[in-house]
Amino acid sequence: MKLVREASGRDRRATVDRLGAIVVRAGGFGVIASILAILFFIVVEVWPLVRAARVERRPILQANTTVMGVASDPYQSHLATIDGEGTVRVRQLSDDREVLVRDVAAGAQVGHITADPNGEFFAWLEAGGRVGLVPVAWQVGFADGKRVVRPSIGDASYFAAQESALVAPIAARIALDGSSRTVAAASDDGQLVLFRRDREVNDFTEEVEESETLSSVDAPDGLIALALDDSGAQLFAATADGHLYRWDAIPRLSSEPEVVTVNGKVSSMTLLLGGRALVVGLERGAIQVWLRAPRGDSPPKLTYVREFPPHESAIRFLAPSRRGKGFVAVDERGGVGIYHSTSERVIWRGESGLRSVSALGFSPKADTVVIAGAAGISIFDVDNPHPDVSLRALFLPMWYEGYEKPEYVWQSSGGTDDFEPKYSLVPLLIGTLKGTFYSLLIAIPLGVLGAMYVSQFMHPRLRNVIKPTVEIMAALPSVVLGFLAGLWLAPRVEEAFSALILMVLSFPFVVGGTGMLWERLPLAWRTRMPVGAEAIAFCVSLAAATVLSILLSDPFEALVFGGNFQAWLLGATGLHYDQRNAIIVGLAMGFAVIPIIFAISEDAFSNVPRNLVSGSLALGANRWQTVSRIVLPTASPGIFSAIMIGFGRAVGETMIVLMATGNTPISEWNPFNGFRTLSANIAVEIPEAPQFGSLYRVLFLAALLLFMFTFVLNTAAELVRQRLRERYASL
Amino acid sequence: MTARAWRPREDRIGKFFTRLCGGALAVNLLLAIGLLGLIGFHGTAYFWPKGVAEVELVSGDVLIGEVHGWEEVPADRAATPGERRMRLKIGNRDLYGLDFRWVSESEVARVGYPADIVLLERLEWGNFYGRPVELHPSGVGAVDLRAGLAALHAEKIEQREQIEDFESGPLADVNYELEDLRLEERRIRLDAEEGAEPDSDRLAAVARLKATASKEYELLAAQLFDRRRELSRGSVRMQAADGQHKSIAVGDIVRILQPNEMGLFASVGLYVSRVWEFVSGDPRESNTEGGIFPAIFGTVMMVFLMSFAVAPLGVLAALYLREYAREGPVVRAVRIAVNNLAGVPSIVFGVFGLGFFVYLIGGTIDQVFYPEALPTPTYGTGGILWASLTLALLTVPVVIVAAEEGLAAVPRIVREGSLALGATKFETICKVVLPAAAPGILTGMILAMARAAGEVAPLMIVGMVKLAPSLPIDGRFPYVHLERKFMHLGFHVYDVGFQSPNVEAAQPLVFATALLLVGVVVAMNLVAIVVRNRLRRAYATSAV
Repeated sequence: MKLVREASGRDRRATVDRLGAIVVRAGGFGVIASILAILFFIVVEVWPLVRAARVERRPILQANTTVMGVASDPYQSHLATIDGEGTVRVRQLSDDREVLVRDVAAGAQVGHITADPNGEFFAWLEAGGRVGLVPVAWQVGFADGKRVVRPSIGDASYFAAQESALVAPIAARIALDGSSRTVAAASDDGQLVLFRRDREVNDFTEEVEESETLSSVDAPDGLIALALDDSGAQLFAATADGHLYRWDAIPRLSSEPEVVTVNGKVSSMTLLLGGRALVVGLERGAIQVWLRAPRGDSPPKLTYVREFPPHESAIRFLAPSRRGKGFVAVDERGGVGIYHSTSERVIWRGESGLRSVSALGFSPKADTVVIAGAAGISIFDVDNPHPDVSLRALFLPMWYEGYEKPEYVWQSSGGTDDFEPKYSLVPLLIGTLKGTFYSLLIAIPLGVLGAMYVSQFMHPRLRNVIKPTVEIMAALPSVVLGFLAGLWLAPRVEEAFSALILMVLSFPFVVGGTGMLWERLPLAWRTRMPVGAEAIAFCVSLAAATVLSILLSDPFEALVFGGNFQAWLLGATGLHYDQRNAIIVGLAMGFAVIPIIFAISEDAFSNVPRNLVSGSLALGANRWQTVSRIVLPTASPGIFSAIMIGFGRAVGETMIVLMATGNTPISEWNPFNGFRTLSANIAVEIPEAPQFGSLYRVLFLAALLLFMFTFVLNTAAELVRQRLRERYASL
Repeated sequence: MTARAWRPREDRIGKFFTRLCGGALAVNLLLAIGLLGLIGFHGTAYFWPKGVAEVELVSGDVLIGEVHGWEEVPADRAATPGERRMRLKIGNRDLYGLDFRWVSESEVARVGYPADIVLLERLEWGNFYGRPVELHPSGVGAVDLRAGLAALHAEKIEQREQIEDFESGPLADVNYELEDLRLEERRIRLDAEEGAEPDSDRLAAVARLKATASKEYELLAAQLFDRRRELSRGSVRMQAADGQHKSIAVGDIVRILQPNEMGLFASVGLYVSRVWEFVSGDPRESNTEGGIFPAIFGTVMMVFLMSFAVAPLGVLAALYLREYAREGPVVRAVRIAVNNLAGVPSIVFGVFGLGFFVYLIGGTIDQVFYPEALPTPTYGTGGILWASLTLALLTVPVVIVAAEEGLAAVPRIVREGSLALGATKFETICKVVLPAAAPGILTGMILAMARAAGEVAPLMIVGMVKLAPSLPIDGRFPYVHLERKFMHLGFHVYDVGFQSPNVEAAQPLVFATALLLVGVVVAMNLVAIVVRNRLRRAYATSAV
């Protein structure tokens, strides 16, 4: 009985032992797992940015008549079409059932048709020479917890010139707030006519006042397309021989249009969201983007910006996205392309499978493309949540709306819906490197030289006090350093920058002088103090020099910089002095990095085998020769790894740069102005970034860059250190 | 050139470079000491009462305020070169709009420190400097004004405390119950199958409870209103420096002081009282006044939660490296992983914490356990639990390194003795090695906690807020609310220093918070260094 129990007890103990081993091993691998999990998770979040778009075609819908215009609701539950007889049909897509039919042209033959890019109206040209416009409304409601979209077709309004008949092309817009309807069309007597109907609702009486203005200019020859911007304030026109025209349209068409020449024959044209970018399709299949770019002080001018790889035949239809700067194009032979202007991305290219395409639509959420042709209506589902991000846009200069030339810009959000997000990481990378550079400039000499002194020229008794003091620096929370740098140091340095210059200039003289005086001290005094007590004397004299520098800064500034350093700086170099600048960050972040570099290089110095040092001294080298020619080269891999790790720390430091710079994402190397780093950018923007939006993922990408960067640095440093340990062991 | 001529030059160069190294070290020391001194000075000076000056200007105007430093007037505005000006905290924000004002030397006719100036620290609008004129409603004359005011104030303080107790007691209870019932009702509706009618009996029961609670709430709210009205009764009319009169409700006053009259003893008393208010009170005026108790509490609780998470992982990893693993590629990989965990920027941990803990895990928890509260997230938003776990990842290398050192310090013979007596490896580790290595592990824990206490960037993303409505621990079931957002000392520094509308006036308070934070962190590090040195010494002797 007892034996059995003992045996089972032994078994249990063995089991526990095995289990314990497993748990401990799991703990060890847990560390690797967590670092890999972080990497993996961040990559998973970034992946959708670079993933190719997925486009799927739904079965072709049959249409009995030729569809000449399409519009859909935001949730693609319905599709509205208008055909050559002027019949508007709304069909429910789930069961392909017609829910609404209305003949809006009242029997007149309908010619040219244009559908609102926002899917909210159709406009058409009637054979009689007038233009009709009918709004299509999508009322979204909830019933039983389910979304219900109720389509409705509003009252048509008509526009006609008094003495002439209107002819193609036409363009129309309903302002987003519904306050005005604008229609532009050519007329058969060679004019370009613009109608504007303003609708004002009196806030108190709710009376509706309508007024119409009509203006006209001479129409250019060979007009093939017209476009109006969202509010109807600008009219654009394209001619077949390759000219683009732009008129201001408020209050009436300006007499002098802006004209530019396109290199090629134009076949179609549309305006992107916001009305600042013109997409032009050419006969030879190319698609060009033209922006109204400012030119110094002169007014902005239509400027060729970029071209997308050509289709095989002429571009017949273009439809802009209502979400951002994307658009879709269809060519003569039915080839489809989805593009994004800002990111210069070809999102998808394919075949519509339809011959003789007659209408094109891009749904309000830019997630379906509707193409109508002789064979029916083809709907493509587009799964591409981040069209506005591309490697090009992230890392190369891009020509943005409202800019004179391609530039690196980070500007993730704006006040309006038609804002063009600018996701260039370059200013942030430059900011990161700038902050790192200036802080290492301070931290490397102070950290490495200080460590050298402590390990080579100092008595162990003194070392045991000094080392922890410097190491305590590492413990100071960076938020406190940032606070002091931003609110205490920055205004003081701004006031007395010359004192800082004085301190740096006087440094070698102060330590040299103090050292010489120290040598003059009676030998009896010096021998009583531990080796390296000199450093304490340096502290005292440097403190005195600091006070003196501050006192002398005014006369010095008057003498050298004419009394005002900032003014001198601006005059002599053209650089502006910001209060929170790279030098302040360098000081504060240098302070944070010094203890890291100090601790690791001190380790490397003290671990240099004694026999090397003794050998060198025995051969007659003096202390400094030994240190500089034996100790330093031997310890150099350790110092290299110290610098790498310090580098890594500076690259990722967040709070100091957040608080001690102005956080403006500019790409300049000027030490006297601020910058924004990748890390500070994440801290500033991620609380505002909607989950899974483009900004959210771009910020994850920034985190991934930081991760990779420090991963390389730290791994290199660790490998060097492991190698060094082996080498020391063999020496 | 002969070798003899070359030697002294080499010597001189050597000496110069040696001194340069020494100078570099001295700069490091000066920076460290200077910085600690700066924070220490400004942080402690914040609580010391300042004299209140009455400044008569040449123009005839009179200003009353505290002198907050002197500086030189910018050259383009100075009447005479080198003229100086003082920064005067004139308070009375409700009258003047600004707390501070610059006064040039040339403007000043006379500066005095009259004893009868009264400083009112108020709940709102900051300090008021002036002279009391009349007490309302008692209308007692100037002779007894001070005594009357003091008595009334004492009474009002008591009333205010009662109201606070009332609000956080019965009233909060009823509110909590109402919210619970609302969620209960939603839960019943959600429980019902798609299309089916929800359980009407349960709904009716909830509705009955809700009606009772609402009635009680109305009753209590009426009581609160009465008490508030009672509190607002009684005011003191103050005369400001420029002669304006301002009536201030005594119930809104925190302290009534006559700074120029205070002796050393009274000053020390006030100092202690202000420090106490600072560490134990709730913040006022969007954190720029009052205390920082919630921030202290949040920091401490977050750090402790973190240490629960970090201890097992760190110790296990250290055990693996020291006791189980054999040198080889795996150990190298673990070491590289440890170094990377230590070296990856803290903000990256924050991003990971947001995406993984908050959105993925927290969002899933919400879907499964708290569907009735959606779309308001419970765990699917930043909170103290996620913050602690994020920081645990961040600080795990600190624990590993220190615990490894502790394990290495345990002599081999101790292990071998245990094994020889028949204990298994795991028993040896649990009963012999770990207890012996405890100081090392403790050092690691302390260092990790210090690191966590000072870390801000990742927490800004995963749960820290400017002002948390309630502490993560309270008297209501389940007592510990890990999903709640929390305040943090480090974030307090950032937020008040950079985001508050009145940075100038708040700066001294930020220094005090920074001092507290630095004090805690440095103290923890010092303790860790002492423990570590002891350990090394023990190791050194046992190795012999």
